[in-house]
Amino acid sequence: MNLSTNSVTVRFGAVAALQNVNVKVASGERRAVIGPNGAGKTTLFDVITGQRRPTSGKVLIDDADVTGFTVWRRARLGLARTFQRSTLFANLTVAENLAIAIRSRLKVGSRIWPGRLEREVGAEVSSRLEMARLPALRHRLAWRLGHGERRIVEIELALARDPRLLLLDEPMAGLSGAEREAAVTRLRALPEAVTVILVEHDLDVVFAIAQRVSVLDHGVLIADGTPAEIRANRRVQEVYLGGAD
Amino acid sequence: MSRLRQLRPRRWLGQAAFLVFLLSVPAWAPNRFWINVASQALIFAIFAMSLDLLIGYAGMPSFGHAAFYAAGAYGGALWALHLSSALLPLLAVGLMAGASLALVGALALRARGIYFLMLTLAFAQVVWSVLSNNQLANVLGGDIGLISVPRPVLPFAADVSLFRPANFYFLTLTVAIIVYLALAAVVASPFGHTLEGIRENEGRMESLGYPTFRYRLAAFIIAGALAGLAGMLGGSFNFSATPATAFWTTSGLAMIAVIMGGSRSLVGPAAGAIVVVLLQLGLSSLPARGLAERWQLLLGVVFIAFVLFLPGGLYGLLRRRAA
Ligand SMILES: Nc1ncnc2c1ncn2[C@@H]1O[C@H](COP(=O)(O)OP(=O)(O)OP(=O)(O)O)[C@@H](O)[C@H]1O
Ligand SMILES: [Mg+2]
Repeated sequence: MNLSTNSVTVRFGAVAALQNVNVKVASGERRAVIGPNGAGKTTLFDVITGQRRPTSGKVLIDDADVTGFTVWRRARLGLARTFQRSTLFANLTVAENLAIAIRSRLKVGSRIWPGRLEREVGAEVSSRLEMARLPALRHRLAWRLGHGERRIVEIELALARDPRLLLLDEPMAGLSGAEREAAVTRLRALPEAVTVILVEHDLDVVFAIAQRVSVLDHGVLIADGTPAEIRANRRVQEVYLGGAD
Repeated sequence: MSRLRQLRPRRWLGQAAFLVFLLSVPAWAPNRFWINVASQALIFAIFAMSLDLLIGYAGMPSFGHAAFYAAGAYGGALWALHLSSALLPLLAVGLMAGASLALVGALALRARGIYFLMLTLAFAQVVWSVLSNNQLANVLGGDIGLISVPRPVLPFAADVSLFRPANFYFLTLTVAIIVYLALAAVVASPFGHTLEGIRENEGRMESLGYPTFRYRLAAFIIAGALAGLAGMLGGSFNFSATPATAFWTTSGLAMIAVIMGGSRSLVGPAAGAIVVVLLQLGLSSLPARGLAERWQLLLGVVFIAFVLFLPGGLYGLLRRRAA
């Protein structure tokens, strides 16, 4: 699934969170978006998923204009995201959280008669918990999870939709070294066809996963290229890498 | 899920005991008055359970649920007065009347939380003012309402008179049990879990691909239909449909029943409804002068005590005991 934004601008009053941003992400690409705090990374995600309408500009998914599409319609096209601030279903168990995502993919969330599919949903919940190494947390209410566990369930919730385009907003923030490694392994194991866009401050993670990197600063796309090109880019070094060489 | 499974044997036992208790009410009730009180309590329990679907499961704090109760009461009364008093069509009329009005009230679904509460309240007050409008008196009976509403007639057993309190009680009990079982199935179904997801985090549900508005609309219509069913029974029970049924105090009593009983449990609000009906009766017949007229104030005090000392309501208390 490919994605492009067509001179997207988002204004909050006087603040331009995004200014004429053009990004083009090819199908199956692993892209990182980096930039200092307040650069507009989350806003870019919000525009792509439909959570925020751009002040001007267009969003294209698989070359079709989806700017007017609702959030849920885009999700049904194969878009999934994680949120910078975890937004699990706090009073539901981990298993129930995952089941909701799985049912959405199977389009059985409106059934009154559960039928055989519910058993399939239960089985898939088990296998996904297994893959995420969280089987012991199955019946834990989401609000009782530790920070790292919550981040991992957050990712699993998005993965349970079998997305074709996955947006990850700082998924590793606050994770321990070991948790981080496990998450990187999990993300690298995604099918090649899945397009991934990752917002991440940890450049080791960025360079471990991304094939291309886009750099935002004050809502402006200041660079776009391979990790090597980005490392060598003067402007990027000035605003983001703090002149590190 | 496992929490429920652990509780299940005890729950079944409790439910069976409660069922026996309900079935035996006419046998030990001292007189017809108390059988009628029990019918009233069950009708109110149906109403409160339907509200629990919105408040407890879907997270939609409706303060206008009385409008749908009134729709059922008026729909059933008009039908019985002008067309027929056969039971099954009347039950369908109650459901349809509640559901249809819910379709109109759905404009409140644009709002969330306290704004949803205010909009549903305003909507119900509009319904109340239409019902009590004397210019429409030739259709709706104005501020007197519709009177001399006949009781329904049972299919295949027309000689079993529903004018007899015990017979009417068994009718309301049957409907209450069916409504309970239906709602229990709904909240345990994928659809019910989807509603819970919307209650917890609507935005997240949308980004998972759920068209949440449609689900909220469906919940609103189901709850409205069941409230209409309760209203239809209430109209039959009272032989009348009055504007007061749509007034905000009726919505308020149902909300109190849900919260006192413990939302998101169905049984809690049903028990809360029974408690509210009994309290209403007890407080309004207090011997002390002046107090009886202020039964609503006293009920408010009891309600506040519940909220302060029993968060989670009666059901929460039972669950903590069981755990
Ligand atoms: N709802 C909003 N209302 C007003 N201003 C906003 C809103 N959301 C974001 N902004 C502003 O838009 C700019 C971009 O914010 P955004 O959250 O997209 O940045 P970010 O790159 O994700 O930052 P961080 O690394 O801190 O997550 C910031 O200046 C922010 O203050
Ligand atoms: Mg951000």
